Amino acid sequence: MDNIAGTKSSLVWAVHMATAALVLLWVLPTLGLLVSSFRDADQIAASGWWRAVFSSEQNIVYRAADVQTQVQQGDLWVLQGNVFDGGKGEVQSFGITSRAPSDFAPGTAAPMKDGMAAQVEVNGDYRITAPKAFEGRSPRLFVTSLTPPRFTLANYSKVLFAEGIGRAFLNTMTVTIPATVIPILIAAFAAYALAWMEFPGRALLIAAIVGLLVVPLQLSLIPLLRLHNSIGIGKEYLGIWLAHSGFGLPLAIYLLRNYMAGLPREIIESARVDGATDFQIFLKIILPLSFPALASFAIFQFLWTWNDLLVATVFLGNTQDQLVMTGVLRELMGSKGGEWEILATSAFVSIAVPLVVFFAMQKYLVRGLLAGSVK
Amino acid sequence: MTRKLFASAAVLALLGGAAAAQDLKFAPGEDARFHWDSYEALKSVDLKGQTLTVLGPWLGPDKDLVESVIAYFEAATGATVNYSGSNSFEQQIVIDAEAGSPPDVAVFPQPGLAADLAAKGFLRPLGDDTAKWLTDNYAAGESWADLGTYPGKDGAKALYAFPYKADVKSLVWFVPENFEDAGYEVPETLEDLKALTEQIVADGGVPWCIGLGSGAATGWPATDWVEDLMLRINTPADYDAWVKNELKFDDPKVVAAIDEFGWFARNDAFVAGGAGAVASTDFRDSPKGLFASPPQCFMHHQASFIPSFFPEGTVIGQDADFFYFPAYASKDLGQPVLGAGTMFAVMSDNPAAKAFIDFLKTPIAHEVWMAQTGFVTPYKGVNTEVYGDVTLKKMGEILLGASTFRFDGSDLMPGAVGAGIFWTGMIDYTGGKEAAAVGAEIQKTWDTIK
Repeated sequence: MDNIAGTKSSLVWAVHMATAALVLLWVLPTLGLLVSSFRDADQIAASGWWRAVFSSEQNIVYRAADVQTQVQQGDLWVLQGNVFDGGKGEVQSFGITSRAPSDFAPGTAAPMKDGMAAQVEVNGDYRITAPKAFEGRSPRLFVTSLTPPRFTLANYSKVLFAEGIGRAFLNTMTVTIPATVIPILIAAFAAYALAWMEFPGRALLIAAIVGLLVVPLQLSLIPLLRLHNSIGIGKEYLGIWLAHSGFGLPLAIYLLRNYMAGLPREIIESARVDGATDFQIFLKIILPLSFPALASFAIFQFLWTWNDLLVATVFLGNTQDQLVMTGVLRELMGSKGGEWEILATSAFVSIAVPLVVFFAMQKYLVRGLLAGSVK
Repeated sequence: MTRKLFASAAVLALLGGAAAAQDLKFAPGEDARFHWDSYEALKSVDLKGQTLTVLGPWLGPDKDLVESVIAYFEAATGATVNYSGSNSFEQQIVIDAEAGSPPDVAVFPQPGLAADLAAKGFLRPLGDDTAKWLTDNYAAGESWADLGTYPGKDGAKALYAFPYKADVKSLVWFVPENFEDAGYEVPETLEDLKALTEQIVADGGVPWCIGLGSGAATGWPATDWVEDLMLRINTPADYDAWVKNELKFDDPKVVAAIDEFGWFARNDAFVAGGAGAVASTDFRDSPKGLFASPPQCFMHHQASFIPSFFPEGTVIGQDADFFYFPAYASKDLGQPVLGAGTMFAVMSDNPAAKAFIDFLKTPIAHEVWMAQTGFVTPYKGVNTEVYGDVTLKKMGEILLGASTFRFDGSDLMPGAVGAGIFWTGMIDYTGGKEAAAVGAEIQKTWDTIK
């Protein structure tokens, strides 16, 4: 018996490996999203994010400088520039038609039609010469190059400085904060009553609330909005606060009641003996002791309302003055979707505030208010 | 605290006001190519102080474009128009209509949904004069007026939706210089197109990029193919009957159209990545094969919106171009054009809404968007010189030159078919299932919803 504390179970390795696997499972996609948010759309389409940090071999189709920029050198007309346009790279081979895009080694001259010739150096400098002036569109060069990794902040500046994003941030806050506070207020009272006050039908009431947990909110969108319209709330903040509160309440009451019911009976009974009213017990004893549960529900509700788009578009409307942040980010995606770079970046931008909230509340979760309260 | 609140509210209101006062894109009266007289005429409508809400499917750059058109209506009439876009428009408009808070004007991306709402009595009829106007002023005007005509709540047919802004779907995209390098010509007939396809394979290339992937909507690009081919081997009357299911989905005529698509898509040598890649390639990524080096494919069949998914910096007309998906020379079916369009419908009794529909009948409402990007119109009264680039002009000419215009059939079919089993059926088909079996399966679903 006495050496139990010192024995390590042989299963501990299995536990560690399972934990590591789970962590990896969660972190990997997030990492991929983070890397993608620093790449531009064409890069994302061309190669996977795990290849972002390596030099990659790329086949570039480059259109030579506009014919307006040609210069006359002796009896030759010349177009010149660099195929990397200011970027970096190393040319491995080049070609002059799409049929044979890597026929020539860098530094050699490739003969083209009508006495023209093209030459591309290793550093990307090119020079196309012709016996008579260039006209119309300039010729294309096909370059196979080794390109070093390249990252961009353009996605972030696009998302952060999008038109109306500041307004949308305020709107989201206006929705989120009351929509978190209101249900907690109501649910805390309700949970206390359901946990510690004896009245007929209490068990049925709890069962009804648990039952409400499974009702999908999509079911109630139209009837609720119709109700709002008919009593004159319309599409305003009050409406969305009520809607979010309503949708959040069953879970809140259920969570808090279970937590409060688990509090030691002795404390509450001694308070009763000392002559405390229900309200005093609730305010002075239950509420402080329930802080971890309140905080964890607050985090839940905050994250859910923060990320919500459906309820916001239904109950708040779509005008520029009422658009929440998720709405603006969706607008950035365009009508047809498929902009992965915006999606990845928006994900990280919209994660920021919930992370702050989570870490700020974290300490309440771990403080362990109950320690030492009994005995 | 209260004062602070009011102050910030005032600041926000000011910001909002500044955003609403948008400048007109083209100064009235300056560019002689525009029909400014129609803009001046609009000033006789006085809607000062009135507000109009418009809900549509356009977001992002498209939203800026539609707002640039609306700005002219606001400037001329004095009304304030709040446009809002939603990419879940189909759901939102139903919720708003059912709950009794619809926008004044709704922009339907497809007629099926408008017809549903008209039957429930949520749309206001636009009147016979508007129907006549469409017939007289749009190319293939009957086809366009029919698109907006549905039975209302009382069962009587009337025009409920005004088509404005068309998309041309019968297009094949290609890179002209790749054609030049290989010595290919743009085909004029479907026979030539098929010969070219075989020629490219003989030369060691891959002719087509086809991608059907589109998340939950995977399969829809194939429906465009089948509809286009349906119009090329069968009569327009057959097409109309097919869309209404008077011609069954497993009819030999329909099965032949599906097999015609299979000729292109089910041949490993004809498609980039092989026939197996067709269903799994995303439609947004699929055209990128045209621009790869060496080219992964030479041609791509897709509607007029696809350049937004070309690599950044692609210049249409130089780096990429399109040609009309040709018709069989051996069949006397004219030059059918498959397309889509958005439909404007009035959902409230607000007089400004009716005025807005009248605004859409003015040439200037079309020309302002034409002069920018992504807009073609079948309206014969506009000056086609206004088109912002040669590509749009070419598309506009395809539309004006159409002997038959037919709307995207899958959008006209009931949702369970056109946005359900037709999509998944086409995925099964590219996966190797027989055309007749696919047709029979789709017909079975259609029978159940009658």
